Amino acid sequence: MTTIDGLAAAVTRRRKFSKRRARAGRMFVAPNLAAVAVFMVFPLGFSLYMSFQNWDLFRPAKFVGLANYRSLFTGDPLFSIALRNSVVYTVGTVVPTVLISLAVAGVLNRKIKGINFFRTIVFLPLAVSSVVMAVVWQFVFNTNNGLLNIMLGWIGIGPIPWLVDPKWAMASLCMVSIWRSVPFATVILLAAMQGVPDTLYEAARLDGAGELRQFVSITVPLIRAAVSFVVVISIIHAFQAFDLVYVLTGRNGGPETATYVLGIMLFQHAFAFLEFGYASALAWVMFAILLVLTVVQLRLARRRTAQEERSWA
Amino acid sequence: MGLAERVIKPNILRGFGLYTALAGIAWCALFPILWAVSGSLKDEGEVTTPTLFPAHPQWSNYREVFALMPFWRMFFNSVLYAGCVSVGQVFFCSLAGYAFARLRFRGRDTLFVLYLGTLMVPLTVTVIPQFMLMRVAGLTDTPWAMIVPGLFGSAFGTYLMRQFFQTIPAELEEAAILDGCSPWQIYWRILLPHAKPAVMVLAVLTWFNVWNDFLWPLLMIQRSSIATLTLGLVRMQGEYVARWPVLMAASMLILLPLLLVYGIAQRAFIRGIAVTGLGG
Repeated sequence: MTTIDGLAAAVTRRRKFSKRRARAGRMFVAPNLAAVAVFMVFPLGFSLYMSFQNWDLFRPAKFVGLANYRSLFTGDPLFSIALRNSVVYTVGTVVPTVLISLAVAGVLNRKIKGINFFRTIVFLPLAVSSVVMAVVWQFVFNTNNGLLNIMLGWIGIGPIPWLVDPKWAMASLCMVSIWRSVPFATVILLAAMQGVPDTLYEAARLDGAGELRQFVSITVPLIRAAVSFVVVISIIHAFQAFDLVYVLTGRNGGPETATYVLGIMLFQHAFAFLEFGYASALAWVMFAILLVLTVVQLRLARRRTAQEERSWA
Repeated sequence: MGLAERVIKPNILRGFGLYTALAGIAWCALFPILWAVSGSLKDEGEVTTPTLFPAHPQWSNYREVFALMPFWRMFFNSVLYAGCVSVGQVFFCSLAGYAFARLRFRGRDTLFVLYLGTLMVPLTVTVIPQFMLMRVAGLTDTPWAMIVPGLFGSAFGTYLMRQFFQTIPAELEEAAILDGCSPWQIYWRILLPHAKPAVMVLAVLTWFNVWNDFLWPLLMIQRSSIATLTLGLVRMQGEYVARWPVLMAASMLILLPLLLVYGIAQRAFIRGIAVTGLGG
């Protein structure tokens, strides 16, 4: 009898204990959940709802179905310009960023004296906000007396109207963006490179593989997951670019429409023209494009890995 | 040529090449900043010349920044917003992260999947309703607009903390349970002190994000008495077009506090970026 009583008491105690922990768990999550619900989940649903409305500050909201989306794709010539600019900017940023940061991470991965000092300097641009960065680069790009044109002058290349000429403005924008993205990508790639076991390199060295060969056939294949991650994140960042463009080439995405990217278009429609419905539709189109790109990229990366695994077998 | 010589010579050459490459990379990372520092010390005439070291450093440019913008006021605002949001994020995210990692309650795992889903939602989609929310709540153009949205935690921070708490051995908690500690006591006295690396990462990343943020203060704040430094710089850039020495001095003054934080918390910052992919 006593043992059964004791057992029952233990079970009750145990139940009471987990009840208490469950209650604590709910309480601990509650404030955070409220914040996520109010500032993430609700806005997500509400912007989708708004994208089907004719919604601005002056008239009452009216349901218009897919009209906002339709006029984006058929009735707004600026949308195709913005989309093209964003694609050019994204490709012009992401491809050089990945190539340069692979090389930079490869160099920074060497265990030599003073390497930590160099790492500190190379990662330093990460601490610079896009606004400060854009103001500083305006100074560098200055046509008459900017550093870049002075240096080009030394090798006999005439002054280039970097931010003034529509032909050069996008290239300038990409350059600044690359300057900022390379340290970011390098951090991630370097972390991955440090996880590659030394024994692989030793084996390759015994086989007589040179440094470049080791980098191409051991390092790069082994950190492919990190490269893929960098590509996805960089695309997501670049495709939504706003701060940098706003400060470097102006809130209208000038000169002319040379740097009129989707982020600028969204800002104009939402907060200058106050067309919340139309801007929300634009935001969802951007979201959808990003989702598709991310899924495709992850699929490709996985298929490539699977193929290679099979070829190993 | 002896064997030793033959081995050492290519090594020295290769070392030389490596350091040249490193110096080149470091120069690329630094030259815009060095050029800005140099520009901030030139006068209006000298700023058109390519010298890196100004003949007569004009420290008065820095004095002028303080005259042209309420620098210390904005500095205080930036510190206040970044500080409040960082503390709030660390507290509420670690609390929820502990619950998601260790405390069983009904619907917990479904809820966590929902959290993971919101990580994919870009700012582009949420910013318009967030803007409207703040307007309806009457918080625009008040300091609250800068603090409230981040104060009670985020899905990202919670995810980060949960992942970390899962790596802490369960024995640590079991011993405390036997001693009769409540879940709150376990969190506050035992797990939170153990989570210092993750706490540092979250705090530093949040600090940089709030300090460097531009879109949200641009939307929320009109009065310059509650503006952040970043916003102040953009306004100054609009008002004093092409007054490069003063603009560069202002940029450097805004950059300096962040470089100090970078110097102190570099490890946590770089680790945070490597782990989360945030901060590009």
